Amino acid sequence: MKIATSVLAAALLSATAAWAGDPGVSDTEIKIGDVNIMTGPAAFVGRGVSLGSKIAAAEINAAGGINGRKIKILTEDDGYIPSRSFQALTKLLDEDGIFALNGTSGTANVLAMMPLITENNLPTVVTTAPSALIYKPVRPSVFTFGASYSDAFYAQLKYIHDHSEPNNPVYGVIRQDDDFGQEVEAGYERAVKEFGVKDGIRLRFKKGTSNFAAEMAQMKQAGVNVLANGGIFAGAANILSEARKLDMNLQSADVWSEGIPASAKLAAPAGYDYTVGDYVALSGPAVEKFLAMAKAFTTADELAGVSRYTFVTYVGLKSLAHAMRECGKELTRACTIEKLRQTKNLDTGGLSAPVSYDNPQQLAGTEVAVYQLHAKDVTFHELVGFKKY
Amino acid sequence: MRTGHYKESVGGLIALSDSKAVWAWTVVLLAALVAAPFLVGAYSLTLMVSALIAVIGAVGLNLLTGTTGLISLGQAGFLAVGAYTNAILLTDYHMPVWVGLPAAGIAGALVSIVVGIPSLRLKGLYLAITTLAFAFIINHIILYAEHVTHGPNGVFVTGAKLFGFGLQRGPALYYLALTLAVATIFAALNLLRTRVGRAWIAIRDHDIAARVMGIDLVRYKLLAFVVSSFIVAVAGALLSLQIRFVNIDVFALILSIEALAIIILGGLGSVAGAVLGAVFLSYLPEAIRLVLSAVIDPASPLYANYVYEIRGIANGLVIVLFLRFKPDGLIGFWRDARKYWSNWPLAY
Repeated sequence: MKIATSVLAAALLSATAAWAGDPGVSDTEIKIGDVNIMTGPAAFVGRGVSLGSKIAAAEINAAGGINGRKIKILTEDDGYIPSRSFQALTKLLDEDGIFALNGTSGTANVLAMMPLITENNLPTVVTTAPSALIYKPVRPSVFTFGASYSDAFYAQLKYIHDHSEPNNPVYGVIRQDDDFGQEVEAGYERAVKEFGVKDGIRLRFKKGTSNFAAEMAQMKQAGVNVLANGGIFAGAANILSEARKLDMNLQSADVWSEGIPASAKLAAPAGYDYTVGDYVALSGPAVEKFLAMAKAFTTADELAGVSRYTFVTYVGLKSLAHAMRECGKELTRACTIEKLRQTKNLDTGGLSAPVSYDNPQQLAGTEVAVYQLHAKDVTFHELVGFKKY
Repeated sequence: MRTGHYKESVGGLIALSDSKAVWAWTVVLLAALVAAPFLVGAYSLTLMVSALIAVIGAVGLNLLTGTTGLISLGQAGFLAVGAYTNAILLTDYHMPVWVGLPAAGIAGALVSIVVGIPSLRLKGLYLAITTLAFAFIINHIILYAEHVTHGPNGVFVTGAKLFGFGLQRGPALYYLALTLAVATIFAALNLLRTRVGRAWIAIRDHDIAARVMGIDLVRYKLLAFVVSSFIVAVAGALLSLQIRFVNIDVFALILSIEALAIIILGGLGSVAGAVLGAVFLSYLPEAIRLVLSAVIDPASPLYANYVYEIRGIANGLVIVLFLRFKPDGLIGFWRDARKYWSNWPLAY
């Protein structure tokens, strides 16, 4: 009896110690980290990403928080430089004592933080870099929300092939010479093989390239009329602008970064009604509902910065909050990870397909919707709803 | 009170310092650095490791640019060569750290010979552009030699141990970085007192005059590239140990620009200047963060919405103002302070 009591006491003590030991949780607050691009040329993306966490936190807090605890978002800037991401997460872990991580920047940035994430068993939802490098191999505390670039391109090319393919189609791809570009080409490869169409030309360019005159001249010479445009932001706009100069008749499939208002404004003057494949909504009632809700928690300046990047971290934090809520009062990292792993069909109000991490890769949001830009009024309309490819 | 700097022997002329006070303060500083892991938190220790890596890289670049006058924008490339060599040897070939670190330096030195050859005919901006092109070439090689470098996927650096201690975080990594930084500083200081160091300075001041005096430009310029790149590549290897992941995005061009900024801000041509510049620029963002959070209410909309922009502007502004009002860099401040106190109360 005495031994049993001692064992029970020890078990209770160790359980309490484990709970008390997890940083970032007090009786009133849960600290969630966000390492993002807040300075530099891509800061407009980071601000959108960071805003998603803040809006989700404000909405959750207004509704009473997580079992009585308010969420506090702590943002650190990494300037899109991996070594700074590592340093920023070190600060969030050691100085601020975060409980979990939601916002992140690029793939290399997440990978630079990965050793810290795994050794701290930090519940992490990666929403902006859904690359296979993040979830293969799967890390127990890392959950990924988002489809692959490969699926996003395949979905668009499939739509073009099925509905709007020009006569004598010649496909071509232009992509960055990195892991992101590899995924773009993988989607293209799958499409041309499956559709049995002519694979006109495959071009690579270096990240940061801004002049695509030579590449597009090669495209024209190859007779390309269906383009997988792997450029991002100004790069994608410059590719389309060069195509217009050469008077190319193009169906262009683009990266989801071209679905944000700033990118669309850059690319629209070229006059191509390009498509975008995305794992979050770009238009429709879900977006309108979100904007109406966000108005209550943001300034006019912030609201103007809302983009698809806001939606992805919003959904990320909602799924994290759902898992934390399921853990009840005694919130631990281990419990949160377990509950995240059990998450199935979590409704996101139509901003994405329902979120389910209950698969070996802990990967959700792999369904892609296809949108098309209306270049004249710079708006997007849905062509195909969320669907697995 | 010291009244002058008269040297009575050759030994006195070439001594690193003839001042007992300097040696005493150096020992105090070293003791403080050795004790640091017991006194500061994990984040501060991470910042210190980053600063020590920056010190090693800056001292290496200073030998090339500050001492020999060969401007290089290829430092990111040499850092990448060192980091990848160390990462691949450790992770793919399971080599020990004591093989990985020197191998990284040797790889950097060998590659530098290829870059150094154009320097025999080029100077100034022309050389800077050549070295910049080298950084791009390295970038391409890393991306396309996937079977060796893992291409764009990068390499996770694992298994770095020395005498049973994990070397990739905490005090062990700090002491390794500190040892290498101290060794680099002393090696650089000693090099500058040798024939090689004097030849480099002569080349910087006037290469044709140096050649007339019998200095073999080919040999010494290449030697400057080799020594500098060895050191920078070792800094790259340490960086790979610290962040435990290497990928081409880690070695962006901005690193080369920052490295030049460090040695210019510290004071070109001076080892102490390179050290001061590296420490100053490593801690400047942190200092600005502390000042801003003390001056602006962190809960205010101004702080919430614009703090990152303000930090970036403040960072740039400090550097610009510094160079405007103290063009000889931080070492100039140090020299002024030393002169003032050495001559006190007769300072002018």
